[in-house]
Amino acid sequence: MFEKIKVSKYLAYLFLIIVSAIWAIPVLFGIVTSFRSQTEVVNEGFRLLPVNWIVENYVNILENTSTAPIMQWLWNSIFIATMHTLLVVVVISITGYGYSRMKFKGRDLLFFTLLGISFFPNVVNLIPSYKIIDILGWVNTPWAMIVPGLAGMGNIFLVRQFMKGIPMELDESARVDGASDFKIFSRIILPLIRPVLIVCGLFSFTGSWNDFLWPVIVYTDVNKMPVTAGLLLLQDVYGNYRMIGQLMGSAILAIIPTLLLFFFAQKYFVSAINLNSGIKG
Amino acid sequence: MKEHGKFAPLFFVGPHIILFIVFILIPSIYGIYASFTNWNLVGSPEWVGLDNYKTILANSDSTFYSQFFNGMKNTLIFVGLSVPLMIVIPLMIAVALEHKEVKFTSLFQTLIYIPGLVSISAAALIWSLIFNKQLGVVNNMFGSEQVWTATQPYAWITIIIITVWAGIGGNMIIYRAGINGVSKDLYESAEIDGAGPIRKFWNVTLPSIKFPLIYTMVMTTAGAFNVFAQPLMMTDGGPRQSTTVLMMYIRDLAFSHGESIAGVASAMAVMLGLVLLVISAIQYYIMNKNATT
Repeated sequence: MFEKIKVSKYLAYLFLIIVSAIWAIPVLFGIVTSFRSQTEVVNEGFRLLPVNWIVENYVNILENTSTAPIMQWLWNSIFIATMHTLLVVVVISITGYGYSRMKFKGRDLLFFTLLGISFFPNVVNLIPSYKIIDILGWVNTPWAMIVPGLAGMGNIFLVRQFMKGIPMELDESARVDGASDFKIFSRIILPLIRPVLIVCGLFSFTGSWNDFLWPVIVYTDVNKMPVTAGLLLLQDVYGNYRMIGQLMGSAILAIIPTLLLFFFAQKYFVSAINLNSGIKG
Repeated sequence: MKEHGKFAPLFFVGPHIILFIVFILIPSIYGIYASFTNWNLVGSPEWVGLDNYKTILANSDSTFYSQFFNGMKNTLIFVGLSVPLMIVIPLMIAVALEHKEVKFTSLFQTLIYIPGLVSISAAALIWSLIFNKQLGVVNNMFGSEQVWTATQPYAWITIIIITVWAGIGGNMIIYRAGINGVSKDLYESAEIDGAGPIRKFWNVTLPSIKFPLIYTMVMTTAGAFNVFAQPLMMTDGGPRQSTTVLMMYIRDLAFSHGESIAGVASAMAVMLGLVLLVISAIQYYIMNKNATT
């Protein structure tokens, strides 16, 4: 028995170490390569550490503000993801309140109808969504990425589910004291649903930041696009691996903001999914 | 006691309903409608009945026909290759992390989770270099001369590797939470019955995490059907369109620089959506049935 546990323990360690190494090495490789010169990469090939550490790649990246304005792209991404996240939090909290704390005719029927429709494969609405964005005059503006995602039902479902765990007596006693819905929402419910809002906010932020297909479609103006769409252009700008360091440096710059967010909010990222699977399970 | 006014609920759920109608309901209906028209994104669409569907499904002379079947085939290859790995690998990791004597679990988990936060285009730039013919890590390490992204089956292998690398973090955490929630008594009574680690996994762990498994399988499959970024950036659909997925054709037909062929593209999108719906339903049915019997 004792031996068995030991063997399985070493097997588990071995497996985890191999997987973590494979998972970490590409990012480290990207970082290291971004500090190597082109001649060094070409002549020396792959190395664990640069022969000479150089920062010219990053200087060049930052100086190229015409064909690859990466700081502009990063700023666009930050603006889009932040605005999107704030609006998501506002929309899902008031809508979740409506569907879980208020009484009106056909409430649950309405909710589950919308939820059912939202399961419809969204590839079908891709092309008309572009047309709608075009009609609204939002092509090549941040709104093209900020607003459409607010219509989703997934986060509202989570908030509604979370609110169901809050006793109704809280609302009722406040109502006896003459509090309006707005007051109950802002003073009682909102503080209590903070955990679920943080979780939904984090996932909205990273989801928006990493979205790829949609920005590739709605942005054609180099100065207006977010960094994910911009990186697609980089393959041509620094093309054919003539400027490897710049290519890697740009990829690393694009990763940094979400990584920072992860390290500051790590516990929420993990608790997040507990919440999610708690509901499903 | 003050009940809320008649219009108060409208204030709370109304704004979202408007968003829902404009950005989900109308585009979904219009997407189906457009598949029966010769829409070009600009003019007003003209009804053509089932013509688009006849073209992509039955007219073997048409390029749309070969694009549709090639794109659908490649999308299904991607789904078939990636989804099992995206379920099995994170499950193995979660089991290893929940081993009672394994330490540093949060370090391992962080290392494996981080690629999920890297945007797919940044990941593709790094991995393209790793697989680069002259300069890459893989060929340097193994002394091979392979042009990874331009030869099959290596083109698929690179696409699958980057997909698994970037995509397993979420599932891993869901499985960990599920395994964590399994009652310790179940394992103890299995141990008393003389069950080894493998039997404990099959008889206790797997049945207990049925819901997380169904959930991740359906969600991962749905995501895999929409695959677009990995083949676009890693292989650009090559070699000879053998990794061009349906989403790439849909985007090219609807949004390329020439005249948009949004009607045909919509018909392809509807077909892709239908296949996805059917497969999700089958998955749900089989998993649910197996788990209850």
